[in-house]
Amino acid sequence: MTEKFKHQVFGIRHHGPGSARSLKLALEALKPDCLLVEGPPEANELIPLVLDAGMNPPVALLIYAETEPQRAVYYPFVRYSPEWQALCFGASQGITTRFFDLPLSHRLVEQSPLESSELEFDGVDSHYQPSLEQDPLFYLAQAAGYSDSERWWEQLVEERLSSEGVFEAILEAMTALRQEVKEASAHEERREAFMRSEIRRALAEGFERIAVVCGAWHSPALQDLSGLKQDKATLAKLPKSKVKATWIPYTSGRLARASGYGAGIRSPGWYDHVWQYSDNALAGRWLAKVAGLLREEGIDASSAQVIEGVRLAEALAALRGRASIGLDELNEAAYALFAGGNELILELIAERLIVASELGSVTERAPATPLQLDLEKAQKSLRMAPQALEKSLELDLRKDNDLARSQLLHRLRLLDIPWGEVLPSSGKGTFKELWQLCWHPEFVLRLIEAGYYGQTIEQASSSKVKELAQGATNLAYLSQLLDDSLLANIPEASQELVAMIQLKAAQDPDLSHLVSAFPRLTHVLRYGNVRLSKDADLSTLEHVVKGLLARICVALPAAASSLNEEAASKLFSDIQNLHASVKLLEEAERADWLATLEQLASSNLVHALIKGRSVKLLLDEGQLEPAEAARQLGIALSDPEIEKAAYWLEGLLKDAGLLVAHDDELFTVLDSWFASLSPEAFVRVLPLVRRTFSTFESPERQAIGQKAKGVKGTKSQQSLSLNEVRGEKMLEHLALLLGTKGEGV
Amino acid sequence: MSETQLRLSAEQHYAHELAALRAEDKGPRPPNWQLSPNAVVTYLIGGKSPSGEGISAKYIGNRRLIEIAVATLATDRALLLYGVPGTAKSWVSEHLAAAISGDSSLIIQGTAGTSEEAVRYGWNYAKLLAEGPSTGALVESPLMWAMQEGKLARIEELTRMPSDVQDTLITILSEKALPVAELRMQVNAQKGFNVIATANNRDKGVNELSSALKRRFNTVVLPPPASLEEELEIVQSRAESLGRALELPNEKPALEEVRRVVTVFRELRNGLTEDGKNRLKSPSGTLSTAEAISVVSHGLSMAGYFGDGSLKADDLAAGLLGAIVKDPVQDRLVWQEYLETVVKERDGWKDIYRASRDLI
Repeated sequence: MTEKFKHQVFGIRHHGPGSARSLKLALEALKPDCLLVEGPPEANELIPLVLDAGMNPPVALLIYAETEPQRAVYYPFVRYSPEWQALCFGASQGITTRFFDLPLSHRLVEQSPLESSELEFDGVDSHYQPSLEQDPLFYLAQAAGYSDSERWWEQLVEERLSSEGVFEAILEAMTALRQEVKEASAHEERREAFMRSEIRRALAEGFERIAVVCGAWHSPALQDLSGLKQDKATLAKLPKSKVKATWIPYTSGRLARASGYGAGIRSPGWYDHVWQYSDNALAGRWLAKVAGLLREEGIDASSAQVIEGVRLAEALAALRGRASIGLDELNEAAYALFAGGNELILELIAERLIVASELGSVTERAPATPLQLDLEKAQKSLRMAPQALEKSLELDLRKDNDLARSQLLHRLRLLDIPWGEVLPSSGKGTFKELWQLCWHPEFVLRLIEAGYYGQTIEQASSSKVKELAQGATNLAYLSQLLDDSLLANIPEASQELVAMIQLKAAQDPDLSHLVSAFPRLTHVLRYGNVRLSKDADLSTLEHVVKGLLARICVALPAAASSLNEEAASKLFSDIQNLHASVKLLEEAERADWLATLEQLASSNLVHALIKGRSVKLLLDEGQLEPAEAARQLGIALSDPEIEKAAYWLEGLLKDAGLLVAHDDELFTVLDSWFASLSPEAFVRVLPLVRRTFSTFESPERQAIGQKAKGVKGTKSQQSLSLNEVRGEKMLEHLALLLGTKGEGV
Repeated sequence: MSETQLRLSAEQHYAHELAALRAEDKGPRPPNWQLSPNAVVTYLIGGKSPSGEGISAKYIGNRRLIEIAVATLATDRALLLYGVPGTAKSWVSEHLAAAISGDSSLIIQGTAGTSEEAVRYGWNYAKLLAEGPSTGALVESPLMWAMQEGKLARIEELTRMPSDVQDTLITILSEKALPVAELRMQVNAQKGFNVIATANNRDKGVNELSSALKRRFNTVVLPPPASLEEELEIVQSRAESLGRALELPNEKPALEEVRRVVTVFRELRNGLTEDGKNRLKSPSGTLSTAEAISVVSHGLSMAGYFGDGSLKADDLAAGLLGAIVKDPVQDRLVWQEYLETVVKERDGWKDIYRASRDLI
């Protein structure tokens, strides 16, 4: 530190373990009496909490507008964030520690792009590139030929310079870089003006050794404190709003998204490793970790391979002219040594070690999160106090208040807070819902944990669903999620789910998943859901449903071949459901479906149960002449394999007792076929017919018997003739009922 | 090297490039290497020699893969080039050997009939009977020469060899020595010796490497071309030159048709439409670039002999069906589903949809 400056600026890389290590050493050497850290001053009161035993990074500072909690900014911290190390240092030494960035009360009122983009969770983007302002060191490292800025830093620090010197070098590099960039944005200018005025304030308060920790990009601007007047002008008349701050748990996996500190990182697990082990055995340790993981997963990985891996990584680093091994080289070594061409192994390593998402926790002393407040507000306005006693609640969804209650409960369920369980409702209508409510204390914890999904219950459940959808592999689960999100009325998530379903439909090798998703989707498409917002765009869904049907039609004939009885009866009900759903669609799609049914009915490989049912459905649709159906029935029942014939008949008539009794067409088919049988043939098929008929209810069988009699001869006409004596007895009562007493009928 | 030689080896064909690189190569060379590892990478990937002489690209694709391969050879580990058929494995192996040892001819071809003698050594039986076991009666394998001269030996289609023959490599790779028990001697490998093997992962019925052997190889997987344009270029130029070689009565393949074939191949291979919007099922076949080339040249000859000479959808349909539907049940479904959900709806693809529909 020079005489001239009573403050020293440490330009760091956000979430950089190398920076964190250098900073820690530098702070210990400097012994500052005041520590200014880049971050929102609204959170100053929360700084002492960092030492609380309950605080386990990854955590985030959440700053949100009091009236509009959806507008919020996260400042995530991991163990190896330089800012976190600085805060811990400040708090443990008991020195004055402050955040000194431009207050968010000025930022959360502007119509800045922060609103939507920073709140979206878009997963880990492998092509993510920070902007120059966010992470200038990334660009310096790239210029030096490193794709991993941390290794570059490491080398810079550990092999060339003392840790104090490194901050001076960074300052110089940034000064040079900033000269290349013409204009800073007005926002950046305001931030830096504010930071400078805060440093001046600290100086005015009489602090002698002020350590200033900020993103490397800002470091040159904070060096020179002249220009007081100009800064005052820049900061004059800023709009203001009320904001609140709290700590929430965070996951390291989400660090990849840009928010608050801007720079996201792609490999938190690797950085954690770098933070923990700075020695020469870093590469060996890492590959040993990889081998350990693979062994856990039941994949062979020997120590010899680890040794060879380190050698290969070293050779690669040398080939690229680098003095030490980075994650790139280690990944490539793992690829050549362990993976043997299996991409899945690399994905496993990426997911479990490189990203290694872990969930942090925060102390109970942290202020309530906006999500908690939002729930309290909703509970008040909907008059639903949380109670630990079990209690049932019946909702009438036609009433606005009840509908809102139902939606709240469904949303909470999506957030893993099953305050209410839906009970099977007694009424048949769709507007009734019966809930069993019971509040458990641990729900509060889950609510806090859910804080990183959003600031309101709606927003949080929506982004949770989106995240679940990203990880979903099967279609049935996705359509279940769609169902849930329709119930919870989170249209944004629903839309995304529809898109996901479209993607997954093609991948899913299991026809039954397609089949089980189809009816649900058709239903939503045809009737809309009572709960679906009115302006929701259904055209995508329509496209999805059509695509789904096309795939089902193509795959069904093969799927219906060579089945055993169990599988056939499962498919039987699937086809039944499909048929009901297809009826809701347009002509063109129905034609495709009927063509598929015809294929099923005529193919020899298809299970007889399915064939019989296909004939029945085609007959219902008028696609098949009764005479033709009778012919097919004849062919099927004369099959030398009695089993097959029996299945065919079962397929035709299962659950159709009433239909046989009342549908003339089907009856005629059966009747004319029976009539055509020779006595020998009749005796042969009798057991088969009996087997199927025995599944009908006895009144159904009677009705069929009656009908058969009626068709046979004219006698039955007589049995229906009027018994005048008995009839007359009724007349009097009828007259009474009709109020026409005394008059003739 | 004679004028009538049908094909020149890599080190003959690219002798001037190798010489240029060698002349200016200042990087440290592992013992017995003709070039430094960096120069080897440049030779494979293409670029410029330090003095600016152009080096043609032998392998079009990811530089990192070649770096891993070269680094592997530099650390004395054997290299296994792995991948679906038609991804330039042998090509890369030949050029690596040419650049590193200046000799790509030390090959052992793996087949179901490859014997242990072909890998280690055999005997000249006339001499053996006449003189008894002696070095003079020994017939050395290419692997043995490579060991003695400190060069790279190439083993093609390693997984086609019977497992017991494969396993003879274990001692050679770990002890770097080949014992000749009959003569009570052992051939010790000189520095610079190493093995490049190729194997493909699609063939059914191959002899999977034993884990003991697998452990001695570093595996580099060569993927199919990364982009449509890259693949299009390869297919277009290869189909054209093939057509010329076979003297087909045709004109230049219409770029648009070639593009469609390559698109179909890529989409089905990747299980994803090129616009990234729709997922697809993939057929059981490999659908390598090489097969795309054969569909196009088949289409060209159809057009030449039976059509009006210009490549049309009808000429391609049969070739497509044959290349894609290898398994009559599963692949047919995949192809049918692809036709119904993708081809049918794509603008300007009606002709190919109809032609293919008619054939199913």
